[in-house]
Amino acid sequence: MNLQSILSILVFSPLLGIIVLAMLPKTQEKAIKAVGFLATLPPLILSFAVYAHFLAGKSLSDFSVSVPWIQFHGINAQEPIFSVSYELAVSGFQLVLVVLTSVVSTLAAIGAVTFIKKEWKGYFMLFLLLVTGMLGVFTAENLILFFIFFEVTLIPTFFLIGKWGYFEKEKAAYSFLIYNGLGSAVLLIVIMILFAKTGTTNIELLKEIVGDPSGPLSADFKLGLFIALLVAFGVKLPIFPLHSWMLRVHVQAPPSVVMIHSGILLKIGAYGLIRFGMGIFPNQFEKLATLIAILGLINLLYGAFLAFIQTDFKMVLAYSSISHMGIVLIGLAAMNEAGIQGAIFQVVSHGLISALLFFLVGVLYERTETSLIDNLGGLAKGMPLAAGFLLAGALGSLGLPGMSGFVSEFMAFLGLFKVQPWIAAVGTIGIIMTAAYLLRAVLGMTYGRAHREFDGVLDLRGVELVPVVVLMLLIVLIGVYPSVLSSPLQATLETIMLGLGG
Amino acid sequence: MSSVPASAFLALALILFCIGLYGALTKRNTVIVLISIELMLNAVNINLVTFSKYGVSPSINGQVFALFAMAVAAAEAAVGLAILMALYRNKKTVHIDEMNEMKH
Amino acid sequence: MENAWLIPLFPLLSFLLLLLIGKRLREASAYVGILLTLASLVFSILVLFERFSEPTYMAKVNWLTIGEVHLTAGFEVNQLNALMLFIVSLVSFLVHTYSKGYMQGDERFHVFYAYLGLFTFAMLGLVISPNILQTYIFWELVGVGSFLLIGFYFYKEEAKAAAKKAFIMTRIGDVGLFIGMILLFWQTQSFEYSEIFKAVEAGSVSNTMITLTAILIFIGAIGKSGQFPLHTWLPDAMEGPTPVSALIHAATMVAAGVYLVAALFPLFLASKTALLTVAVIGGFTAIFAASIGLVQTDIKRVLAYSTVSQLGYMMLALGCGGYVAGVFHLMTHAFFKALLFLAAGSVIHAVHTQNIEEMGGLWKKLKLTAPLFLIGTLAISGVPGLSGFFSKDEILVAAWEGGHPVLFLLALIAAFMTAFYMFRLFFMVFTGDARSEQRDVNESPSVMTLPMVLLGILAVVAGYINTPWFGSFLGDWLVDGNPILGAAHIEGPAWIMIAATVVSLAGILFAYFIYGKRSIAPDWLSGKGDMLHTVVSNKYYIDEFYQMTVVAIVTGFSYFLRLIDTFLVEGIVKGVVGFVQGLGRTGAKMQSGQVQTYGAVAFLGLAVLAVIYALTGGYLR
Repeated sequence: MNLQSILSILVFSPLLGIIVLAMLPKTQEKAIKAVGFLATLPPLILSFAVYAHFLAGKSLSDFSVSVPWIQFHGINAQEPIFSVSYELAVSGFQLVLVVLTSVVSTLAAIGAVTFIKKEWKGYFMLFLLLVTGMLGVFTAENLILFFIFFEVTLIPTFFLIGKWGYFEKEKAAYSFLIYNGLGSAVLLIVIMILFAKTGTTNIELLKEIVGDPSGPLSADFKLGLFIALLVAFGVKLPIFPLHSWMLRVHVQAPPSVVMIHSGILLKIGAYGLIRFGMGIFPNQFEKLATLIAILGLINLLYGAFLAFIQTDFKMVLAYSSISHMGIVLIGLAAMNEAGIQGAIFQVVSHGLISALLFFLVGVLYERTETSLIDNLGGLAKGMPLAAGFLLAGALGSLGLPGMSGFVSEFMAFLGLFKVQPWIAAVGTIGIIMTAAYLLRAVLGMTYGRAHREFDGVLDLRGVELVPVVVLMLLIVLIGVYPSVLSSPLQATLETIMLGLGG
Repeated sequence: MSSVPASAFLALALILFCIGLYGALTKRNTVIVLISIELMLNAVNINLVTFSKYGVSPSINGQVFALFAMAVAAAEAAVGLAILMALYRNKKTVHIDEMNEMKH
Repeated sequence: MENAWLIPLFPLLSFLLLLLIGKRLREASAYVGILLTLASLVFSILVLFERFSEPTYMAKVNWLTIGEVHLTAGFEVNQLNALMLFIVSLVSFLVHTYSKGYMQGDERFHVFYAYLGLFTFAMLGLVISPNILQTYIFWELVGVGSFLLIGFYFYKEEAKAAAKKAFIMTRIGDVGLFIGMILLFWQTQSFEYSEIFKAVEAGSVSNTMITLTAILIFIGAIGKSGQFPLHTWLPDAMEGPTPVSALIHAATMVAAGVYLVAALFPLFLASKTALLTVAVIGGFTAIFAASIGLVQTDIKRVLAYSTVSQLGYMMLALGCGGYVAGVFHLMTHAFFKALLFLAAGSVIHAVHTQNIEEMGGLWKKLKLTAPLFLIGTLAISGVPGLSGFFSKDEILVAAWEGGHPVLFLLALIAAFMTAFYMFRLFFMVFTGDARSEQRDVNESPSVMTLPMVLLGILAVVAGYINTPWFGSFLGDWLVDGNPILGAAHIEGPAWIMIAATVVSLAGILFAYFIYGKRSIAPDWLSGKGDMLHTVVSNKYYIDEFYQMTVVAIVTGFSYFLRLIDTFLVEGIVKGVVGFVQGLGRTGAKMQSGQVQTYGAVAFLGLAVLAVIYALTGGYLR
């Protein structure tokens, strides 16, 4: 096995699980669950192997693969007029996200074992397809390939929400599909225009061609393309006012899907903005930096204030996601190392924390059949472990030092204070509000007098502890020793800063 | 031999086509609609033959095409009439505006 | 001193151990906590003694790289840090010991010790931080430790509210520190204290920026140290177990604000405005909190307001340039206030109530607690000979010599009030008749009284390390090598000391006549139901004011945003959906099923295209 095939194996290995699942009869519950879980392990192991390769000081470009794939020939021409290659590669930034994806996927598979009550076969087949899509999105080195994987994440998610969700699952699934479908339509237009005008979809080549002032694209045209990209990924992130689909999904989807959705899928928006928005259109990004900072500020405060008055804990977390994605935008808008690194940290950190919190919400909902804050209370008595981890997760989310949330928040604000001190100063209100709404919600559920008797409820046990503990350890690890995350990012950051001319 | 100019053939084809189109779009009787369609096909055939004789590079291809088109038109007319027969047996009418079952 | 970094790690180890296996250890958890904090204490004492002879030690490692900037983590042992290490680890050790008796029989005994470990770790980490970022990190962790311990009785609604309030109120202050820290970083390119001071001294930071950052950082101190206007959480924090109040809300965490100002003193010295702000806030808080303390009836709340007031004193001292006075009072206050809280805990342990109107005549029953409480009361009142007298005198001198006669007067009045309310407390609890049924009132076990005895000794003698009579050892040592911090001892006129003594004795006498001898009615000035009494006993309605302004505005704004969310954002979505649906319906109506209509439309379309083609002469350009 040479190094170049590793990424392909990493991305497509979950498909093997789908084949095995297809051959299993529907009634074999245990076997289906086991296969569904096991199929997430190869990407996990391989992604850590790639990370180990990086830690050993070797170049990540060893893994790059490029094979001719689709070619359109002219009638008589020997050279193809258009050619698209199958290109996979990882940079430090992508590696971090691949590791995050494989970890959260494995944990979500464990979550699914607990949370999914019917039709495991269909669930795990779609789930594994989704995993492949996500891994592909983060490794694709080519816009067309990226787009295909991007769409591959869309369809399974639609069915996962629509079939295994709660009461209003269909509505949530449709609004997910329509918003994201429109977003990806815009993305497709951008890709096609870039392809038509430049003749390539390779990201590195595009960087050069677009960056060239005498290239085929005029400045205004580039600005237009960048705004289109901002909209396309803004739906995914989501940026206010494109967020309403995400609230429904977070409330209605099954917890194991929300773990993936909130943990990884939202991050594709941030990934796209950094990789394509900032990577291909650095000058345009710079022009709109103030606008992006203001959008980030709106996201941050809007989410925080609305989370403050929600009665459903899931809604609190959904709005909190909007708020935290605001920090990503704020960090990016700073356009300096601190800010961008903060944004990337926030991507990873929020991925871990929200996966943790949604897993716990799933457990709570399963035991008490409610996630309304007013119906709960005093849970710390009946389920001290769950309550403790919930509180710890909330503290991580509100940016307690020693956990990952702080490092990202700190760096994002550090970056923005340098360039936009006033916007940053207003943004710090968000820090206070985050504490206020999270404590209000979490203490409302776990502290105080119990509104109902929850004597019979079981605490976290057995296999449920695995995701919780693993996620918590990762959160603390990044918080205490952030270099574990920042060292792979250095090369990426340098490239971005070079593009920004700083 | 070539006293008749190409434009005359083309004008004939145009007139034929327009009559056919008018008939196909306005007549209520399905049989007449079918006949009108045949008219349009024949207009095309005239065009083909014309260009095979007076075109940029005259050759036999156009005439062969016309023969093919005739054969296809015959087959098509047979199928069309067969459908019409079947419909008539079911609905006891050949009026085209009563045949809107496929809109749902 | 190279191993000073171990000191915070012992309590961290205790925290982790107890989290993992505490449930199995049960009451034996106490030994884990006590032994590990004892280790910290031993190391701290060693470090303190080493520091007497050796210069400042500092070590750091790379923590995080941002582009060209390398942020470091490390530790520093200078005079202030060494002193704080000693105070914190000592009080923490004593409280750990005391809690073994106090928390006996609690279901979550091990959790309590785990939280104590976490807090001690954070507090010790805070005081050895060599840079402001690390300080901030531990600053927040200290806040969490405090939050967890206040909310220890999680099933009580009051505890829940108090914990939440403590966290959010201090967080408001923390944001000030956060902004100040970041602004300072972009001015000086460093978080290191030494680099910051160098930049400030070199004048590379503008005056406005120094003032701004200093005041922002001071806002952080206001939040943590319970200064006006962010003081309201501290009295509520008394919902936590009493040993916690002694450790966190008297001796260590609340003093962190004072410590922060002291640690950044050169920055504050560079801005007159910032210093004045510190002094005014401190002076005002001192008298403001003391006045509320006059009428409280909960034993712990009286002590809490007294803490707020004393912290105001320390801030006042620092604001007037009295670095030594502030730190000195921080130390003495840590001892006598911890003593008072532990003694109060002992009383509560005995009578199971916190309301002083239900106590009385306990002097005979609590043979050990009562005299110890009296020592603490005398010390805080500033009776000559005890530790509080010397430190308070230093502060008064600093205020007078610093050129703030108004603040000096405020401090003097606050001293009178302090003496009065403390002795009111003492007389109501320990003298007179028992006011309610107290059948089995027993002295606390020795595991509780021993720490109190030790603190009692310290409360008496700690003052003698820095007196105008025997020499100012502490002052000389603290400013050694750092002349910028100010004089080791400020020489003040002798009448200040006399005035302070007179004032405190007057307060004691006054309290004696009202509550001891009862020759003056308690309501001679303003009884229950009067306006003045109502306003003061309701803490000047500050809580209600916040409730009606800040909370109402935030909630209102949130509901306003919800309107936007439901009507504007969702409205646009609904509009788009409606438009698409309408378009679809119109289109569906056009589908008549008439094949000839379709043909006509298709033909028309073709015709239009052909016309356009003809007119433009080719494809659209």
